[in-house]
Amino acid sequence: MPRTRSEVVGRAVRTAIRNPGRTVLTMLGLAIGVGAFLAMVSFGTGARSSVMEQFEILGTRVVYIWTNMNRRDFGGTARPLTDADVDALLRDSMTIERVAPRITEVQNLKSADRTYPTKVTGTSPDFVRIREWPMLMGGMFDETDVRQRAKVAVIGTTVARELFGRLDPVGQTITIGANLPCRIIGVLISKGQQTTGEDMDEIVLIPASTYEAFLGTPIGYHELMVQVRDLSLLETAMVEAVPIMRRSHRLAEIEQDDFRMASPAQAAQLARFVSNILTGLLVGIAAVSLLVGGIGVMNIQLVSVAERTQEIGIRSAIGASPRQILMQFLAEAVVLSFTGSLAGVALGWIASTLVARAMAWSGNLSLLTMAGAALFGTSVGVAFGYLPARRAAQLEPIEALRHE
Amino acid sequence: MSDFSIVEAQGIRKVFPNMSAPVLDGVSLTVDSGDIVALMGPSGSGKSTLMNILGCLDGPSDGSYSLGGKDVSTLSSRERAWVRLHYIGFVFQSFHLISDHTVLENVTLPLYYAGVDRHEREARAVELIERVGLGHRLNHRPAQLSGGEKQRVAIARAVSGAPRVLLADEPTGALDTKTGNAVMELLLEIHEARALTLIIVTHDPEVAEFCHRKVFLRDGKIVPRGGRHAANA
Repeated sequence: MPRTRSEVVGRAVRTAIRNPGRTVLTMLGLAIGVGAFLAMVSFGTGARSSVMEQFEILGTRVVYIWTNMNRRDFGGTARPLTDADVDALLRDSMTIERVAPRITEVQNLKSADRTYPTKVTGTSPDFVRIREWPMLMGGMFDETDVRQRAKVAVIGTTVARELFGRLDPVGQTITIGANLPCRIIGVLISKGQQTTGEDMDEIVLIPASTYEAFLGTPIGYHELMVQVRDLSLLETAMVEAVPIMRRSHRLAEIEQDDFRMASPAQAAQLARFVSNILTGLLVGIAAVSLLVGGIGVMNIQLVSVAERTQEIGIRSAIGASPRQILMQFLAEAVVLSFTGSLAGVALGWIASTLVARAMAWSGNLSLLTMAGAALFGTSVGVAFGYLPARRAAQLEPIEALRHE
Repeated sequence: MSDFSIVEAQGIRKVFPNMSAPVLDGVSLTVDSGDIVALMGPSGSGKSTLMNILGCLDGPSDGSYSLGGKDVSTLSSRERAWVRLHYIGFVFQSFHLISDHTVLENVTLPLYYAGVDRHEREARAVELIERVGLGHRLNHRPAQLSGGEKQRVAIARAVSGAPRVLLADEPTGALDTKTGNAVMELLLEIHEARALTLIIVTHDPEVAEFCHRKVFLRDGKIVPRGGRHAANA
């Protein structure tokens, strides 16, 4: 027997280097397989975390109740969402922690020297608590401001830039619509763009009471943002809220709900479910490509054994045992599979980094995943390299020698 | 010259499944240690098959064969590999060097399989390569060598594992007369220096002239005299 394993491997490396064409061909399939596998894992997790991020922007443990006032099919029978509904929900539900009303319409904004039309929202201080939206500068208006219909506004970074450029907007005054001057008391931290392309920072918040008094709320609030005490209470809250809203709207039993209700958390659950299936599918496809890579190793190794039949015969005539021949070809399979898998990890890493950058996903290939893929690729290669190696070991020396 | 028998074959038969007549039909051959024997005969006479059996590349269908006093006629393929490694060296007509190995690597191969450590096997191989006059070609590939040089490398490789028996199958068959004679002289030199038993398969009477003894084979049997026709076939 050869003295050391490292010498067997060293010889396999030398053989690989001396036959570059064959080496590259063998490695190629496996490299692509491992690369595809990693890329798919990365795309799957990247897409999923990106989807989840989008839902988190809309608030976790949040239920939205929308008015049907603006829907024609209700023929004017729907009742508006009002402060009475907010109070009823807070009073009668065991599961609801906060409720923020919201009315949003496009208004013309004017600073000292610029105008900018954008969406203005009337709401309560709970809006930023429910959205878990911290301030960049200044502060949010409070309950006193709401009670006093204070002429104050909190704006997003896009609005600040459009109206004030690089100036500090806090303390400045803007005019909303025809004649509502508001002092800016805070700027919200930037949340960037949603996948829909909506700019989250294009936002102006004023107290709902101020909105109602100076801009008017002909159809009531557009929406009530309801925050549940705990994510696990979400379903209960949605069941509980329906009769409270119906009572508050004094709906008769035969009448249908004049509001709509949905939760991003529910949609998030569905999205998570769907993206898990998709990830599984992608990884499944990638696993098949890895398998094909393994079969590639087997094919090239089989061709290599056939090509080198005479060499095997010579080695055998010299006195190499079947086991030594087997080890030689297995070592070659190990070396080729390992290098091929490493190349695959590099390919996968490049692909996932490029895609992550293009899609603004966070880098998500862990060292463990890459090491796992390399190990898996190597095992596949070696497993498929065994058959050709055994075939080489079982060759009859005379037959092999005679082979041209 | 020692006088004990290194090769003792008794009633060797070899039958191949798809052939009606046996290729070897009761061949008995004894070769003394240190002898030089020419194995001659027309093609199809069975001399290659006999060489394969004597070289433990194949086993006989029937009969007994002992090598160095040990019965080797019923060994497994793994055991035959061991016997080849330690007892036998081969020289082939078409050299059979490994093409992607250097001269040095080719010659060290038997020592590698025998588990000799790298340092020692390289030292022994270099000495042998110098002995066959190719010390300046250690790191050349077979493709960079002439036919005569290739055969010298093959001879160095065949004896690097210190075998007892050297089997040469038409060692000069692919070489011109002058180179062939030089190779024969080298074989005889090595035989002398290493106290080898040399069995040469050939149908070249000039090669046979170098040998102590000629054995003629025809139709799978040893015949007393080859005669001119058999030797030239």
